[in-house]
Parts: sequence; structure tokens; C-alpha cells
Amino acid sequence: MISVSPKAILQSQTKLDLNNLSPDQVALEIKNLDLYYGEKQALQNISMSIPKGQVTAFIGPSGCGKSTLLRCINRMNDLVDICRIKGEINLHGENIYEKHVDVAALRRKVGMVFQRPNPFPKSIYENVVYGLRITGENNRRVLDEAVETSLRSAALWNEVKDRLHESALGLSGGQQQRLVIARAIAIQPEVLLLDEPTSALDPISTLTIEELINDLKKQFTVVIVTHNMQQAARVSDQTAFMYMGDLIEYNDTNTLFTTPNQKKTEDYITGRYG
Amino acid sequence: MDNLNLGRHISGQFNEDLERVINHVMQMGGLVEKQLSDALLAVHDADEELARKVHKNDYQINSLEVSIDDECTRIIAKRQPTAGDLRLIMAIVKTIADLERIGDEVKKIAQVALESLSGQQKDLLINLDNLGRRVLEFLQATLDAFTRMDVEAAIATHQSDTKIDREYEALMRQLMTYMMEEPRTIPQVMSVIWSARALERIGDRCQNICEYIIYFVKGKVVRHTTADDIKKV
Amino acid sequence: MNKWFKSGSPWIWLSAAGVSISLISVLGLLWLIASRGLSYFWPADLYQFEMLDEQGRTSTVIGEVYDREEIPAKQLVHLDIQLEPGQETIERYLVKTGNRELVSLDFRWILVPQIRKTSTPENIAVIERRTNGNFYGVIESLVLDGNSVSLDKMPELLERVEAFQEEIEALQKVDIGAINYKLERLRLTERKHQLGNNLTDEIANEINTQVQILKDEYKVLEAKLMSLRDTVSRDQLVVKAMDGTLVTIGFEDILQINFNNQMNVLEKLKLFFVQIGNFITDDPREANTEGGVFPAIFGTVLMVLLMTVIVSPLGVVAAIYLHEYAGNNALTKLLRIAVINLAGVPSIVYGVFGLGFFVYMVGGNLDQLFYPETLPSPTFGTPGVMWSAITLAILTLPVVIVSTEEGLARIPSAMRHGSLALGATKAETLWRIILPIASPAIMTGIILAIARAAGEVAPLMLVGVVKMAPNLPLDGNFPFLHLDRKFMHLGFHIYDVGFQSPNVEAARPLVYATALLLVTIIVALNMTAVSIRNRLREKYRMLEH
Repeated sequence: MISVSPKAILQSQTKLDLNNLSPDQVALEIKNLDLYYGEKQALQNISMSIPKGQVTAFIGPSGCGKSTLLRCINRMNDLVDICRIKGEINLHGENIYEKHVDVAALRRKVGMVFQRPNPFPKSIYENVVYGLRITGENNRRVLDEAVETSLRSAALWNEVKDRLHESALGLSGGQQQRLVIARAIAIQPEVLLLDEPTSALDPISTLTIEELINDLKKQFTVVIVTHNMQQAARVSDQTAFMYMGDLIEYNDTNTLFTTPNQKKTEDYITGRYG
Repeated sequence: MDNLNLGRHISGQFNEDLERVINHVMQMGGLVEKQLSDALLAVHDADEELARKVHKNDYQINSLEVSIDDECTRIIAKRQPTAGDLRLIMAIVKTIADLERIGDEVKKIAQVALESLSGQQKDLLINLDNLGRRVLEFLQATLDAFTRMDVEAAIATHQSDTKIDREYEALMRQLMTYMMEEPRTIPQVMSVIWSARALERIGDRCQNICEYIIYFVKGKVVRHTTADDIKKV
Repeated sequence: MNKWFKSGSPWIWLSAAGVSISLISVLGLLWLIASRGLSYFWPADLYQFEMLDEQGRTSTVIGEVYDREEIPAKQLVHLDIQLEPGQETIERYLVKTGNRELVSLDFRWILVPQIRKTSTPENIAVIERRTNGNFYGVIESLVLDGNSVSLDKMPELLERVEAFQEEIEALQKVDIGAINYKLERLRLTERKHQLGNNLTDEIANEINTQVQILKDEYKVLEAKLMSLRDTVSRDQLVVKAMDGTLVTIGFEDILQINFNNQMNVLEKLKLFFVQIGNFITDDPREANTEGGVFPAIFGTVLMVLLMTVIVSPLGVVAAIYLHEYAGNNALTKLLRIAVINLAGVPSIVYGVFGLGFFVYMVGGNLDQLFYPETLPSPTFGTPGVMWSAITLAILTLPVVIVSTEEGLARIPSAMRHGSLALGATKAETLWRIILPIASPAIMTGIILAIARAAGEVAPLMLVGVVKMAPNLPLDGNFPFLHLDRKFMHLGFHIYDVGFQSPNVEAARPLVYATALLLVTIIVALNMTAVSIRNRLREKYRMLEH
């Protein structure tokens, strides 16, 4: 006999009130963020709170600024010379754009996985421990352990455990992407940013990665940018729809994909002329 | 149709698919409407032939339901509709199920026409006819609201079901009295009761369809709520 | 026809023609050099010609036929040679006769019509000697310890002589050389103290004692050497030359004796390889026209390796700065253009620059600062292997910079971003990711640099190459690698032997052989670098994105 009270079913669907998160529910807080590439403004007054331990997806048409916003979170935009930023992004209540912030340390806390799998031309093992070696960790035992845990978390351990010291470039695209995720989580970040992680993969590998994302949110806060709306619908708890540098709608995924509040959102997700 | 925004999908194929399925639903609605009015006419005129024809034509409704169902499944599989499109498809799937049930109820009404009733008993049928006409109007209003996806009309129609319920109760009381007075006629009266019952069910089904319209347009689930709640949307 | 043009096949034919011409040129060049060069080592048949000259005198000529040619008969009208009707030309042979102590020239042209009889007697020996070149003749007798012995004893005698020669060589080069080097250093120490005004009696005594010890050692060795020489010189060979003169050759002078006409093909083949081996491992003799080219090979390779060691880090660091750190502005562009143009400067200009700047300025100042005791004779203020390596490093720097920069530009930004996103700094990313991936491109740059540097001769003549270097730049005396020494170079050796030699005919095959060797060495250096690069490339193979 399975007895589930209707109340329990209702509770499982209770959603976070994204505008009134308590401080311990917030992983990241973006406040009035403006971003300029030279003269051109690419992000306009973005404010949002990204909840802890959940998957937040950014969707929107090409050039809407979703990847740009994602890159702001671990300051990868610093690599673009002409990029200027106003506003704040708070991690633990501290603005990551303060002058004294150590960018490398920030990036260890906020990991990132890119569109195309980019394993280094090293062995699988060396790929995973790269971040740890950077921090000066050379203890063989610690590294071995990190490799196993991260590869297990990335659901890759069983496939590669017998060839850890072979080149990572011999893996398939989907495996490479999972390796890159394992590499990112080996340094135990708090937040994991995924920039269209499956856009270069086949549908089956995509599903594996999506399944993985679902597991990852138990340990990390995940922020994902995707072109694929169905993917956002499948993997995320919150979805933010961006358009021309504006945050149009930020809502829980179930609501956004069934009854969006904004006409622009509706038009975009149902595939209508904007 | 314009408030459906159907024509604005980037995929023209998708537009066509949706339009076709909506047209089919309307065709099905028309058929159900025609069946109901035929059944009522048959009862009124005690036209056995017409009643048989109603019986026979029910298969058309059934086959339409199956084909629309199929189309909707296909659209979901191929287009993965979201938001408004998703709600539209869901509304359609549920609407056709209710329309099909209405078709079945119509069959039951037509059954009465096949009973041989005495002249006195025929008076009863006048009351049934009144209820029938009201239900037919109700069905027409519902289908109208569906065609235009007019949420105001749907709410108004939804409210008017109470009138049908009241009329139904009055008819039932009358029939009870009749049966108590003349227990001999119980079998014939029972068949009238069945058709009155069928008409009342049709009213409930129409109410469901109105709820689907509200769900599609407003995105709110108004089933199992009070009339006041519905007005609030 | 028009259709044929449109089909594009003319362009295919044109490019195929281009490729064929290049291929034929390269193969032709290699074939020419190889055939001319290698024939030098092949044991040639020895002929005995009975000649009758125009004055009716008979003579015998013994030697190898080096060359044949046809000359117009009219040139030789005065010789009154009988011609066949219609014969316009007369054939003549160039014969290598050797025996330099008997005749002034060891090559002689003989006219075919004057030959009375040609034979290939089996008892003619070719005696390769330390001085005066080959001797051709018939061995008459052996003298051992002043007594004539049977000719059968010759092989074991030769072995004995060889053992003696090796011992003498070791004594001369290693032991006595070391003593001389130590003596020189002691002298320099003394001089240094003198210059520093701190030459106390104690130190002077110390030095003198050591000098005395070394001189004693020297005397012992010298005595040993003398006795060895005496022993060897008591063995002699009496040979009859072609004009019947008996010549006595001391065994200490003999390197090899071969009876070419007695050898079958296998023996000849064996001798052929032995000769090649000797050519590669021996020192040159007779003003570079005889013997081997080992010091030149050694000098070439050492100089190229030194150059590689200098140019690689310099070029890579410069490329990294230009590509990774310098802003993308006008100055960077100017720098880049300057670097590329540097590659177009004629190499002799680098030689002049090296001589003026490195040798005289830098080297001169180094001497003043660190080697005042040897002045006025310069240490680094004179051309040497280090300055050659540095000059060539500057010459090849643009090649390394350009190809390294191209390699850096080819690395997908995803690699950089991947590393940066893991919390690596820019420097860590460069060191751990970028440089390893760029290593094949860096190797390509180094390969090109080596190819260019190994073939360069002109600038070296100004900054370090000499015709004959007494010592290798690497030996057993501390500090083992003597960067201040001058060195020999295969390229310059070719020039020297081919154009500066007193004996052009004798040197010609040597020029080809040396050229072949130079090509082989450059190819070998390149192949090594290419194989290293290919291994790296395989390791850092980028996935096709």
C-alpha cells in the first residue's frame, strides 16, 4: 500500500518565492548589473537572486546576454579588454567585483564548463587533478581520491577507471564533457556555471549530462545557459528569460513553461515572432 | 481566432497543425450540437426514424474524437508545445473527451423517443423538451465561447449551469409525484428520468469545457472551485 | 580547348610540373653529390701504362685513372700524333700517380695514343701515408729492426705499427696535452697574482713546485715518446716506384697498405666502408686535402647545438611576450614587422655585427674584467665557438619567434579559458597548458633555425671558424667545454678545400664527399628535431573542432 497524502503532493510542488529568499537560501545575488562592451550596453540593470542547491537556467535568443551574464559570475568577462561592469554580484554577501578580490580564488569557488568539451591534451587523470595541482596539492593519495570522487560524481568513473592515464582526447564528446565537469568539481566549487554544455553533443550524451546535472545540484548550485528550451525545462528549477540584455522574466521553471507572465516570454518559448 | 495568436508561430507547419486540429474540434462540436437537436426533435415528435438516425450517427463523433486525439498526440511528440500552445492542446484533448461523452448522452435521450408513451404521459415530455432546449442553448453558448476562446463568455456560460440544475430538480420532483400517483407507469417514467438525467450530465460536461477555456486563456485551474473563485480570474 | 581550360586540369598539370621540377632538382643534387663524393672512397683499379712519348722515350706510369676527356686534335698538332681519318679529338686520361716526393705533381695527363701497353699488375700497392699523400708502387722488401725479413710478415707488422701509433697519439694528445694545459693555467695564476699585486713568496713557491712536478712528468713522457718513435722508425718498407727508383718508407708514416688489384668486390666493399669510417673519424692531413673531417663535423654539430640552446629560450620568451602580454597596439605591430624583417638581413651582415659587437665589444670587455692575466692575448675578445653560436642564434631568432607565435595563435581559446576557469593564473596557464600545446610549433621553429644555421658559412668566417683548429672545443681538461676556442666547420671546410687548396685535383672528390656529409648531418639534425616534433604533435593533437 502506497499512501501519499494529497497535502504531501501539494507541498512537494511549493515553489520558492524568488523575490523574497532568506539569506541562507541565496547562493548568488546579482544587483543592478550593467555591462558594456565598449559603447554598447550588453546587459541592462539585471537583478536576481540565484537560490542555493538548485539549477537555474538562463534562456533567450542568441545575443540576449545570457552567456555574458554567466561569465560575469566568475569574472571570465575580465578577459575581454573592452568590457566594463557596473553593479554588484554578491557571493556570501561580498561583491566579487571589489578590487581586493582574488580572481583565481573566485574561480575556484565558481567553476565553469564551456560549450565545447575542452579537455587539456593530458591524461584523464591529469585533467581531473589540474585544479588541485594549481593549488599546490601534490599528495598522491589526495589526488587519487579526488579523481575517483569527481569522476564518480560526473558519472564517468566506470567508463574510464581502467584508462586513467590515457589521453583525455581519446574520449567521446559526451565523455569529454563529463570529464570537464569532473575537472571543475574536483576543486569543490560552490557554484557550477554551465555554458551551453550540451550544444556540441549528440542527444544521448545530452541526456546523460542532463541526468548528471540533476545529481550535481545535491552538492552544488548550478547555473546553466542553454539554447534548448526543452533542456531548460527538463533540468532547471528556476528559469530566467533574457531578451536584448534585459531580464524579462525570472520564475520557477514549471510556471514559466506553462503559464509565463510576460508576453515576450510566451512568444519566445512557444516559438512565435518576437 | 486572433486572440489565439495561432498564426504567429515561426513554424508555418505548426500553425497549420494547430488550425487543423481546432477546426476538427469545431466540426465535432457542430456534430454534437446537431445530434442533440435531432434527438430533442425526435423525442418531441416521437419520430422513431430520426431517433434511430441519431443512434447511428454517434459513430462519427467517436471517430472524430479518436482522430483529434491522435493529432494532439502527434503535435505533442513533434512540437513539444509550451505555455499557451501546451494549454491549448491540453484543453482540446479534454474538450473532445467531454464532447464524446455528450454524444453518448445524446444517444440515451434519443432512446426515449423509441419508448411508446400514452397521451397523458406525453405531457411529461413537454417539460423534458423545455430542459432540452435550455441545454441545447447552453451547449451552443459553450461551443461559441470555445470558438472565440472568449473567457468572459465562458465564465458567463459556466454560471448559467445553475439554472439547468434547478430546472432538472423541478422536473425530477414532478416525475416522482407522477410515479407515486400511478405506479403502473413507473417503467415509462423511468426512461424519461434517464433522459432528463442525460441532459443534466450534458450541462455538467459543458461546464467542464468552459473551465478548459478559462484554463487555456488564463492558465488557471478553476475545476473544483466555487463560482466566486471563477469570477476572480 | 576552352573546355579543357575550364575543367581546371591545366592548373593541375602546372602544379604537377612545379612539383616534379623541384623533386628532380633535389634528387639530382643528391645524386650528383653522392656519386662524386662516394666514389672517392671506392678502391679504384690500379693501372700500369707503358708510354712512348713524341721524342721516342719510353716510360711507365702507375696510378688510378681519375678522369677521362676528349680534347680537340688541333691542340696537339705539335706532338705529331697519328690520327685516324676523320678523327677530330684525342682522348686523354687524368692519372693519379701519387709519389709526391719524386714528382712535383701527383696528377698527370696521359694521351691515349701514346699508350703502348696497359696492364693491371696485382702486386702494385697503394700505400696511404701520413705525409706526402699516397705512394703507388711495388713492395720490394721489409726491414724489421734493421734486418730484412720476408714479405709474409707484413700484416702483423702493420698491426704492430698501428698499436704503436695509437700509443703515441694518446701520449701526445691526452697526457702531454693535459700537462701543457696545466702548465699554462699555472702561468696564468701567477700572472693573475702579479696583476693583483698579491703574489707572495709562498704562492710563488707553491706554483714553482707544481711547475717543477709537471715538468718532471713531462720529461718522463717525452722520453717514452721518443723511445716509441725510435722503435717504430726502425721498421721500414722499401718500395719500387714507377720509374724504378727504390724508396724507403718508415712505418711510422704508413696508415694503410692495399693491393687494390688483388681484391674482390666484397673486399673492396669492406675497404670502402672502412675508408668512409676513417673519413668521418680522422683528423685532416696535408692542409685538409687528405684524411678525415672529424673536427669539422664536431665543430658544426657543437656550434649548431649551442645555437639551439641559445635561440630556443630566447625566441620562445620573445614570442610569448609579443603574443600574450604585449598590448595589441602600434608598437607591437612595429616590433613584429621588425622581427620579420630581421629574417631578411643578409647573413654576412650578422657576421660583421657579431665581430664588431660580440667579439670586440662584449668579448673585449669580458677579457678586461675576467681574464686580465692572459692579456694581451685575448680569450673571449677573439672569434670563437660561443660568438659563432650567439651570432647564428640572432640570425635564426626571427624564425623561432614567428613560428612560436603562430603556434600560440593556433591554440583554441577554449584551452586558456578552461584553465583560467579552474582558478589558474595567466602564468600558470601559460606554463602548464599553452607552452606544452605550442611545443610542436616551437619545435618547427627550432627545426627551421637548425636548417638555416647548419648551412650558414659566411658569418662564421668572421666570428669563429678557422681552416685548422689545433684543439676541439670539447676535451678532457677542465672546464671541458671551451667556448672561447675557434673551431672547424664543414661548410667552411668545403670552401677551404675546394678553393684555397694547393692541390685542386686531389681536393675535388673531397669537396663532394664533405658536401655529402654536410647534407647528411643537416638532414640528421632535422630528422631528429622532426621526430621529436611529431611525437609532441601526437601527444598534443587537438581534436578536430
